[in-house]
Formats: sequence, structure tokens, C-alpha cells
Amino acid sequence: MVCAIAACAPVEDDLFTTAHITVAAGDDLTITRVQGQVKLTNVNTRQVTTSADFEGASVTVELLRGAYQIDIEGVATCQSANGTTRMRQFRCQSDYAEFIRKEQNDTTLNMIFLD
Amino acid sequence: MKRLFLFILIFITIKSASASIADSALVEHTSLENLMLQESLRNPALHGIFYQRAFSQLVLGIDLQRQSTAFIPEKGNGYTLPYLKVSTYHHLNDHSTVWGEASYTTGKQYDIQWNSTSDYDLLQPYILADTMGGDIRHERYWISGGYATHLGKWLLGGEMLVRAQQEYRGNDPRMRGVVTDLTLRLGGGYDMGHYRLGAMVEGNIYKQTNSVAFYREEGVIPEYQMTGLGTEYSRFSGDKRSLYYDGNGIAIMLHAAPVRNNGVYADATLDEHRYHRKLAEFNSMPLTDLYNEHIGATIGWKQDNGYRLNTSAHLDYTRHTGNEHVGGTSDARYFPVIACLTMYKSHVLDGYLRALYGKQNWNLILTAGYKSQNEEYIYPHRQMESSHAYGKLQGQCFLRTADRMLLTVNAHVSYAGNVNDRMQMPYANMGEGITQLMNHKHKFAKANYTDLGAKVRADYAWKQSGYGIFVEAGGGLTLSSTNEHQTVFQSAIGITF
Repeated sequence: MVCAIAACAPVEDDLFTTAHITVAAGDDLTITRVQGQVKLTNVNTRQVTTSADFEGASVTVELLRGAYQIDIEGVATCQSANGTTRMRQFRCQSDYAEFIRKEQNDTTLNMIFLD
Repeated sequence: MKRLFLFILIFITIKSASASIADSALVEHTSLENLMLQESLRNPALHGIFYQRAFSQLVLGIDLQRQSTAFIPEKGNGYTLPYLKVSTYHHLNDHSTVWGEASYTTGKQYDIQWNSTSDYDLLQPYILADTMGGDIRHERYWISGGYATHLGKWLLGGEMLVRAQQEYRGNDPRMRGVVTDLTLRLGGGYDMGHYRLGAMVEGNIYKQTNSVAFYREEGVIPEYQMTGLGTEYSRFSGDKRSLYYDGNGIAIMLHAAPVRNNGVYADATLDEHRYHRKLAEFNSMPLTDLYNEHIGATIGWKQDNGYRLNTSAHLDYTRHTGNEHVGGTSDARYFPVIACLTMYKSHVLDGYLRALYGKQNWNLILTAGYKSQNEEYIYPHRQMESSHAYGKLQGQCFLRTADRMLLTVNAHVSYAGNVNDRMQMPYANMGEGITQLMNHKHKFAKANYTDLGAKVRADYAWKQSGYGIFVEAGGGLTLSSTNEHQTVFQSAIGITF
């Protein structure tokens, strides 16, 4: 009987996943370092998760599986094709990104330079 | 609808009028001893042989409850519920029995807060809620009927129970909940030597349409799709005020008891009910699924040798599991479900020992038990936990005060004391209203309660007519360690036949 009741309700306890977000500036520029904050807003619960832990041009965030709105603001070190390096202020935004898979979810956002 | 229902009430009354009433029938049907064996009545095959004597009654009554402050805000701080009820239990012949009940209840529930949905006990925590609340009107139609027969050593029976209910508010926010609840039971039994074995299977279908309307545009407030322990499904809260609940369930019960009065008895039940909350205005998008599962087991021993002795041990375990559907990006008011996550869990464990001792015209029941509740929202983590040890003493006495007058006196006293409690909430991210609600609920969940009450019923049987009349009055007082209290009052008049 206990086994029967345990089998009744479908339980999904794998609630969390990893979002691996990369910022990109196009083919002409290479992003070597980013200092900024990523803000992930769950579109269903409006719960906000933030991180500033960039490694190169990517950030990895542990969060609840779901659909998210992504906002990133910060400063990036950009290296052009001719070798010049420049600090540039940027922002990225996406209204909808799904982080549903139980393993890592990858997404890339294009930078908009503000300077 | 009301006329049809009154017709059914009168029909049952007339059809049952040939049954005779004796005081012994009243005693048999209202005895406190039935409480010990109540679980077996779910099996219609056993219900058909449970009573030896026929008994029917037509009752006009009223139930009132008042709380100094709402113990559970979603259920309000009181009610006034007048009702008309007719019930009958009648042996057609040596083999077959029919029984039935029909009732109409209408009245008011007061100051319901944070709840715009009917059937809170069934559907919580997945309800629609707002910050304003208020009184609501309540109207309920109930009809049930069963038939049982025995063929040699075999017992067979079937029963149907129907509930139609609506609750509504006549001022903003104008909540409305219309409920249809149908239960079918099939039962069987077999006499094997000195023991009677029974099995029952039950099916249930449930539906509720639920909405909130505002007539004054400037007074519109958001309605929240609650998801447990003060959380809400924000995306579909606010102006999404039309939804419905689809539910179904099954139950199985096994039972074994001695055919005669002495011996060991046992029963086990397994219930599983599921309720799906769907948004009517978005192509029936499923928001949440609630699974209510219950396991219960009783083992006891009874004896009737001039005095009645019945002892039993009972264990109930109830688990509520709540799954939230994750809505994807919308396409022409259609939201695909991209994932389903188990976010809400609740466990209730209730175990008690019970003993009855009784003689011809009185019964005493002593119950001692332990109940623990643990409610949890997984992320962001919220938890509310409490457990109580409790004891209850119930007494019943039948007094013949005149030749045709019988008094039935029932009284009880109980105490539930907190053993431990715990609450964990992300207060920094909670609004003021929700914080107050959660603190209030926990305060009453962990409180100690003292409850006492009494009820007196006077029956007068008319000579040789087979009819009788009765009046009934009762009251109760519950004192909480939070310095709040609850009073209840019941009153009824009726005829027995």
C-alpha cells in the first residue's frame, strides 16, 4: 500500500539547473574580461537571481528551472582585430530564455555598447 | 433547483413513513459506539447490515460558530448555517436495505480573508486570494443514497453521494465558486467462519468554477494565484480572475471484523485525490496540480457481554504534493507548459489510541493521540511545522424522563498541547500583508487548545403512531493559548419516523 501511494503523485524534485550565459560583441572584437552584474528574473514567479561572477565573457548561475528575462550591465575589456584594447560600457538584454534542461543550459547574448 | 430539491426531501419523507420508530432505534443510530466503527460505514455492503433497526428523521436546524479572531483567516471567523435535512435507513426485507440523505443548507460565512475559492480544506494551498475578503453567502445541496443486499455468505452494496454548492459575495470583490462533487462507492463482503471480510472501492469526480468580479472600476485589487505558504504565481496573478478546478480520486478500503460482537477487527484505507487548477481565459492553461494522498489503518478489539468494551489504535498519514506548471512564451493567449516542478509538500501524521466503555444507556470514550504537521515550500524555502499531543473524553447518556420521553445527553472535553513547532520564512523578501498572514497562521497552528461542549436532545414518541418529535440544542467553547476563543451553537427540531 505504501508503495502504491508513493507511485501516485508524480514528483519532480530536480528543481535546479545551471545557466551558462556568454556575452558576445561580434566577430571584430574579442571580450577578454567582464565586470558586471547579471540579473535573471523568473517570468512566472518574478523571483530575481543575480550574479557578478564572470569568468572571461561568461557567467554561470545556479537557479530554479524555468523561463527567465535576462539583464546584464557592466564594463568589458575588448580587444580589436588590430590588437588595441579598450574598456567599454555595455548592456545585454533578453525578454525570454528557457533554462529547463536539468543539465547545463547555454545561451549567448549580444552586447550593446553604451559609449 | 430549490423546488426539485424540496420535492426530493418530501418524497424521501413520505416513502420512509412506514418505518417504525422505537427508542432503541434512536439509541442504535445515535450511539457514540458508532464512532469506533465509523470507517467501515464507507463500505455500502457493510452499511446495509450495520443497524438492525430502521430509523428516519426530518430535521430543521441551525449551526453557528463565532471566533474572537479567525483561527484560519481563509476560513473566516464564523458562520450561520440553517439547514433542512432528511435521512432514512430502512430494511426492505430480510436481505436488502436502503438508506439515503438529502439536505439543503444556506447561510453566511463571516470575514473570510485571503481566500476567494470554495472548498479551502480540499484545495489549499492552491487557491485564489485577495487582501480584502469579506463575508460570503453559502448554499449547499446534498443528496446521497445506497442499497445493500446479502446473498448467502456474500454481501453487496452500492452508494452514490452528490454535493452541489455555491459560494458568492454580493459586493466587491465578488467571488463565486460553483462546486459539483460526485462520489460512487461499490462494496462487497464475505462471511468467512466467525469473521466478515469487506472491500470497498470509491471513485470521485470534482469540478469547481471559480471567478472574482469587480463592479466598481476604481476599487479593483489584484487577485493572487496562491502556491503555498504565502507564495504566489505572479505571472498569472493580478487581473487573471477566472479559473476552474478539475479533480478526481479513488479510494480503497479493506475491512475485517468478527460477525458477532466479540473479537479483533481491523481496517485499512487508501485515498488519492488530485485537483488541477486551470486558467479559463488562457485556453485552460494548467497552473498547478495538487495530489492529496491518505493512508489510514485501524486495529481494535471489541466485546459486548452486558457491557461494551472497545479499544483501538489508529494511524492516519496524509501527504499533499503540489506541482507547479512552468508557462513558456505566449502565442495568441496560448501558454505552453515547458516544465512541471514539485514546489509544495505537506505531511500530516495523526495517531491515536481510543477506548470505549459503555453499558445499556451510557457510553464513555477516551482518546489519546499525537498529531504532527509539516508544510514546506521548496524554493525560496519556507517551512511551517507544529505537533500536538492531545486527549479527549466523550460521554453519552440516554435518560428516560417520562413514559415516552427520551433525553440524549452528549458532552466532551479535550485538550491539545503543543509539543514542538518551527517556522522558517524569507521575511526580507515578503510583503507586509503576507508576513502578517503567515505569522498569524503559525501562531494558531502552534497554540494549545482546550475544547468543551455539550448537546442535549429530547425525543417524544407518539403513542402507536410510529412518529416522534425532537428538539436538540448544544454548544461548545474552545479556548486558545493565544487568548482567543471560539463558540459554537447548534439547535434543531424535527420529526422521527
